[in-house]
Amino acid sequence: MTAPALRFRNVGKIYRRSHLGRLTETVGLTGLDLDVEQGEVFGLLGLNGSGKTTAIKLLMGLHLPTTGDIEVLGKRVPNVDVLARIGYAPEAAYLNRSLTGREHLRLFAALSRVPAQGREAKVSGMMAQVGLAHALDKRLSEYSKGMLQRASLAQALIHDPELVVLDEPVTGLDPLAIKEVRTLILWLKGKGKTVLFSSHDISEVEKVCDRIGILSGGRLAKTMTQSQWRQKPDTLENVFAATVKRTDGVGEIRLD
Amino acid sequence: MGTIKAVFTYTFREHVRHKVWLSSALFGLVLIMGGMIVSALAAEERGRILLDLGLAANETIALISIVFLTVHLILQEIETRAVFLILTHPVVRWHYLLGRFLGTLAAVSVGLAAMGIIHWGLLHALGWGGEGSYLVAWLCSFGKVAVMGALALLLSLALTSEAAAMSFSSFFWILGHFTGEIRFVAEKSGSPLMRSVLLAFLNIAPDFAHFDYRNAWHIGTIDPHWALAATAYAVAYAGACFILSVQVFEQKEF
Repeated sequence: MTAPALRFRNVGKIYRRSHLGRLTETVGLTGLDLDVEQGEVFGLLGLNGSGKTTAIKLLMGLHLPTTGDIEVLGKRVPNVDVLARIGYAPEAAYLNRSLTGREHLRLFAALSRVPAQGREAKVSGMMAQVGLAHALDKRLSEYSKGMLQRASLAQALIHDPELVVLDEPVTGLDPLAIKEVRTLILWLKGKGKTVLFSSHDISEVEKVCDRIGILSGGRLAKTMTQSQWRQKPDTLENVFAATVKRTDGVGEIRLD
Repeated sequence: MGTIKAVFTYTFREHVRHKVWLSSALFGLVLIMGGMIVSALAAEERGRILLDLGLAANETIALISIVFLTVHLILQEIETRAVFLILTHPVVRWHYLLGRFLGTLAAVSVGLAAMGIIHWGLLHALGWGGEGSYLVAWLCSFGKVAVMGALALLLSLALTSEAAAMSFSSFFWILGHFTGEIRFVAEKSGSPLMRSVLLAFLNIAPDFAHFDYRNAWHIGTIDPHWALAATAYAVAYAGACFILSVQVFEQKEF
């Protein structure tokens, strides 16, 4: 029995903000208990503000948990060394636009501890793999949104990580690009990688995930395995609609 | 070391692409225009005035550049969220901060050197022969730039507002040139509160009197004790600001 790739134990996150001496608290996540097994594709589903991005930021060490512990690949986080074994692509390509595609990837290869020997070949190879070989020496400021998304994926995969974390990887992409991301996730699974991704898109999650977790109001409301939603069409969508509740302060659209 | 080098390289490249070198062109223009006016007003003192004018312009442009660039250095990466991606790689936060700071310092120093070469070339063409003295003045300007850069970095991280950080940096920059006068006023002040406030500012603000090269010029030789003290002061002040910056940055969540 191998240890899970990812383990959340009673993890909570409260955001505290102080303005003019008045303290406001917002619950980001409450009592999250979740294991993601090695080699598994796990989808985090939830509405805006449900805690998906908070969970991802906690495991990447960008936030510190208020309560509980997180273990990634057997190490308690935050841990700088374990980050060398994780690839992360955020929801938008937060890249330094003054660099060229090659320089950008060279930077992230160096930061991810890819050995200097062979780094250049790896950079060129990865850019070719994400379909950007023709734009290697173009500045990122000249890239289209789709190209930037690919450059972001390239930095997540350049060091051949064991765990790949994708935050809303299909949001805002055209149907062809969505299909390519789906193929990529399945390719990563085929290589034995663990993939964690968050999404609103139920149809995408259905197609690639082994298991899903539905977050609602900062809590893990439900987990399901592929066999549970593959039995009947629309099962996942119906379960999702019945499980989540809006926390963004807007009401339903009325049709009367 | 690899991380610091990688961050340093991209920071330096970023500044070069954002045309930091334009400051040298601006300086050249100021110098040529100033030289033309001065030569018309004081033909006999042309060399000396051009020397003073050039050194002052060189230092001022470098200091404005370092304050402006350092204040934006991290805050802009936080705003564009580029820092997200950097810190989700195996990067120790102080390595990132040091790489960013050194990359900026290097970019401004290249500009400072370029301005110095233009200035020195102009002075040389006018027959000025104090090459060694010029280097001392240049190194003193570099010391001030390093100190102000580290202070601006700390203020930008502590205040998290570019406008506030810029204002406070400018305030301390001005204060740093009048430490002798402030000390005099503090000693003469009858109010204990005023004395405490002034002494507090004196202890926080950089003391640019350490980088006054005029005495060395006047004596004609470099006092090794003065050179050592100035270097030690620059390293200690910039180092203290950097350590505090790391403490603030370590606490940040993105």
